[in-house]
Amino acid sequence: MIVSCKALRAVVIASLALSALASGSVAQSFKRPAPTAADWAALAKLPDFNGVWEVRMGGPPSGTVNPSQIINPAVGVPSMRPTQLALTPEYEAKRKVLMAHAEQDNQSANCLPPGMPGIMAQPYPMEFLLTPGQVTIVIEAYSQVRHIYTDGRPLPNDPDPNFFGTSIGHWEGDTLVVESVGFSTQTEIEPHVPHSEKMRILEKFRLTDPDTMSIETTVTDPEALAAPYVTNRTLKRHRSWTIAEYICEQNNRNFVDASGKAGVNLTVPGAPSPAPKQ
Amino acid sequence: MNGPIRAALGAVIFAGLVAAAASVAAAHHGFAVFDTSSQKTITGTVREFEWTNPHTWVWLDVPNDKGGVDTWGFEGMSPNFLGRRGWTRKSLQPGDKITVTYFGMKDGSKGGAFLSCKRPSGEQLTMWGGSPTDDN
Repeated sequence: MIVSCKALRAVVIASLALSALASGSVAQSFKRPAPTAADWAALAKLPDFNGVWEVRMGGPPSGTVNPSQIINPAVGVPSMRPTQLALTPEYEAKRKVLMAHAEQDNQSANCLPPGMPGIMAQPYPMEFLLTPGQVTIVIEAYSQVRHIYTDGRPLPNDPDPNFFGTSIGHWEGDTLVVESVGFSTQTEIEPHVPHSEKMRILEKFRLTDPDTMSIETTVTDPEALAAPYVTNRTLKRHRSWTIAEYICEQNNRNFVDASGKAGVNLTVPGAPSPAPKQ
Repeated sequence: MNGPIRAALGAVIFAGLVAAAASVAAAHHGFAVFDTSSQKTITGTVREFEWTNPHTWVWLDVPNDKGGVDTWGFEGMSPNFLGRRGWTRKSLQPGDKITVTYFGMKDGSKGGAFLSCKRPSGEQLTMWGGSPTDDN
C-alpha cells in the first residue's frame, strides 16, 4: 500500500510531538503563539493579582521581645495548618535522622534557597506579574522566580527534578489553581522534613478582599506523606513597595561546614574606630 | 529619626506572628549558634552598621577590663525587612552610644543576635518584628 508523502509527514510530526511530550523538557517543545490584542485585553478580566505582596506576619505590639515570636528567615513564617504533617514510617525515620543533626544548621546558612513550598513562606515580598499565558512570581528572598504556565500546556510526565518544580496553572472563576511536579530531593517540605521525587504541590490563589490574597497549599507525596499536608497563608498587597535586591552572598557571615557544624564569622570589618560622640 | 520609631519612644515596636496550629522545629539558620534561652545587654559605641544582605550587622566597641576596647558583632535582620519597618541604613551611625539587647553566642565569642537597642535618650529600636510600618 502506498502512503502519501503528506500523510507520512503528518505521522512523523505527530510521533515527534508525542515523544517530546513524554520527555522531561515539555517547556522546550511547547511553543506559545504570539499574544494577540485580545489576549492582552483578556488579562483585564482576570482577578487583580498584579503587584507586590507579602505574607502577613503582624500582630499587636508587645512589651518585650518574646523569643518564640521571632521570625527566623531560614524557617519562614509559620502558616495556619488545617492538617498535621503526617509522614510515612519510612520518611518519619529519615526525618529523625535529620533532626539528630538539627542543632547545627540548614543550607540556607550557605545561601542555598529553600525549594517549594518553603520559598513561599519567607518574610520578604513577592511580585505577581500576569502576562498572556503566564503568571510570574518574582520572589525577593534569594532573588528567585517562579513561572506558572497558564497557556494550556500539559504538566510534564517526566520532569527534571528541581527546587521549584514545573508549574501549570488555570483559572477556575476567581481562583488560580496551580499544580507543580518535579521536585529535587535536595529540598525539604519543612525544615528537616524530607520528601520524595514524587511530591506534588497544589496551590489555590484567591483574593479574599481587594488587597488580601489567600494561598492554600496542599502537598502530597505517595512515598513520604501518609496524608495530604495543607497549609494556608495570607498575603497583603503593598502598592508603595518595590521588590528590593537580595544578594545573599553580599555579606554572608553564616556558614555550615561539610560536617554540619554551624558558625558565624565575627571578623570585624576593617575600619579605624571612630571617637565616641560627646 | 522620623516615623514610628520616634513615635514609639520608650516602647518596643514588636509584632507577634500569625498563630500557627503546630510549632516548627527549633534549630535554624544562624540561630543554631545563639543561646536563645536568655537575653543579655551590653553598652558600647557603634563602630559600623553594615546595611547588607542576608543580615545587617551592628559592630559595637565595648570597653574591656584591660583598658582597651573589644569590637562585638551583632547579627540583625535583612535591610529589606528592616527598611519596611522604620529602619534606614543611617539608623545607627558610627559613634552612637547604645545599649544592645541580644542573644549571646553559645561558644562565648563576642557577638550575638541583635534584638533591640536603646539610646541614652531612651529611644528604642527593635529589629525582630512582623508588621510593616505602611499598609498599602
